Amino acid sequence: MSSSRSRVTTLARHEYRAAVRSRALVSLLLILAVVTLVSIYIAATAYRSALADYEAYVSAAQAGGVQLVAPSPLRLLSLLRGAIEYIEIIGAIIAITLGYLTVSRERANRTLPLLRSRPVTTGELAAGSALGALGIISTLVVATGAVALLCLGIIGGSWATPYEVFKMVLVGIASVVYMFAFYSLGALVTARTKIAANGLLICLGIWLVVVLILPQIGDTLDADNQIPGGLFSAIGVDKAQETEILTHFGTYEFIRTGIEELSFAKHYERFAFAMSDVQDKYQGFTLSQLAREKWHDIVWMFVYASALGFGLWRGFRRQPAISQGVKS
Amino acid sequence: MADPAVEMRGVSHRYTSDPVLRDIDLTIEQGEVFGFLGHNGAGKTTAVNILTTLLVPSAGTARVCGYDVVADRRKVTECIGYLPSDVRLYDHMTATENLEFFAKLSGVSDPRKAAAGTLDYLGSSDLGPLRMSTFSTGMRQRIGIAQAIVHQPRVLFLDEPTSGLDPTGVRQLRETISRLNGELGMTVFMNTHLLSEVARVCSTIGVLNHGELIYKDSMAKTTERFPNEASLEDIYERMESRPA
Repeated sequence: MSSSRSRVTTLARHEYRAAVRSRALVSLLLILAVVTLVSIYIAATAYRSALADYEAYVSAAQAGGVQLVAPSPLRLLSLLRGAIEYIEIIGAIIAITLGYLTVSRERANRTLPLLRSRPVTTGELAAGSALGALGIISTLVVATGAVALLCLGIIGGSWATPYEVFKMVLVGIASVVYMFAFYSLGALVTARTKIAANGLLICLGIWLVVVLILPQIGDTLDADNQIPGGLFSAIGVDKAQETEILTHFGTYEFIRTGIEELSFAKHYERFAFAMSDVQDKYQGFTLSQLAREKWHDIVWMFVYASALGFGLWRGFRRQPAISQGVKS
Repeated sequence: MADPAVEMRGVSHRYTSDPVLRDIDLTIEQGEVFGFLGHNGAGKTTAVNILTTLLVPSAGTARVCGYDVVADRRKVTECIGYLPSDVRLYDHMTATENLEFFAKLSGVSDPRKAAAGTLDYLGSSDLGPLRMSTFSTGMRQRIGIAQAIVHQPRVLFLDEPTSGLDPTGVRQLRETISRLNGELGMTVFMNTHLLSEVARVCSTIGVLNHGELIYKDSMAKTTERFPNEASLEDIYERMESRPA
């Protein structure tokens, strides 16, 4: 192993250990674990009951000589909706806290000068910290996914197919990218503020806007969302008429969609919901169809995460160990 | 002839418009224990920050172990150990974990052995398994010195190492410095206020006054040069009162 890679690995392990030993972070992780488990448990219990009803219907139909039975309306992965929403909301806070702690820990312990007096480059410091954070985030996502799979099988009574597991893996990758973007935001903003706590407050403000306010504005402005089941269905307008009506509201829809598109969280949510069969319209889609439908969400997710990751890289590289002077 | 351990040529530095260091020329040979004296704000810490590569000088060049602190930063950091003032290290880790971490970063091949050996050398093996958050100032300082020497550097920089220490801690530190210099041959560069300790442990002293190096010589020649002064404190006061 090259010495540079060895130093990056050492720094990453150090970051991982610090995160695991942080009471604040562990408390947040426990909260996420509990609410996610409860959400999946309740959904899986309801699913088991619905599955029993469907199986009873199939048995009764077959006993009555009915040849053609309705396909099951149940979608196993849709039970993950709660877990995805919790990762979207609480996962983002955990990632921001992780980024904040990366910087504030070095400041509080005054260890940055010690690190910089070793044969460690600023690039290695940035890479090590980011790798450690990715390790923590991946552990969290993999653990959540594994527990969810077990809950679906044991409590829900249905084991996921390899195709469904693969789609869960894709959601997991998106979750890691999503949380890494918020980690980068937390670390970058904290590194740029003189008082670390101010960085955390700014990030929580951004979180509020990106995760809660912008998507809520988009949802509120969507006329079809105002009535359960949809406005157009309620007034008996079919899809063709709905499309025709909406062509008269092109500018309005452009602005509404634009506000939603500003939210990094919305792109993650749209992709994850599509992959988990949460939305009816994507049921039965193949992966290539899903990719065609959701390519812009995938692109935006990577654009946001890459931009913030690059910002973190530059921010760490430019962060002086001590305040610097002036060149003569 | 071997390169000097530390060499500064025309080094100046300023944070704002006022210079903190002015045209410093200083050479410290290998194996010396150098005491850098000066009042608060004289520029001692700035000088150490430049020599430990944390700060780029506004003007001039500085070399440590023969390497330029700006152009050969990595080479310099491989041969130095550094103990900043008010060191804390990582509170969530034990003393041994802290030492292993810094040893790994310095490229030590067996960090565990190096950490245990360093604690043993400093007579602090009992502190190894304890978390840093439970440590007193004196204990932290011992582990701080351990992290600075765990990779066996050639030059050791100590910035106000006695601050916050009780008399026993100061004595232990003095003994440690003498052993590091005598047994391991380390060059020691020490910023301090405690002149009595400088008199006991340093082979050479330098005095910085408002960013200017106003005096540098061996302890032996210093006491010869000021035969009427009873202590280093008196000598220091005389030097500082002289016009720059």
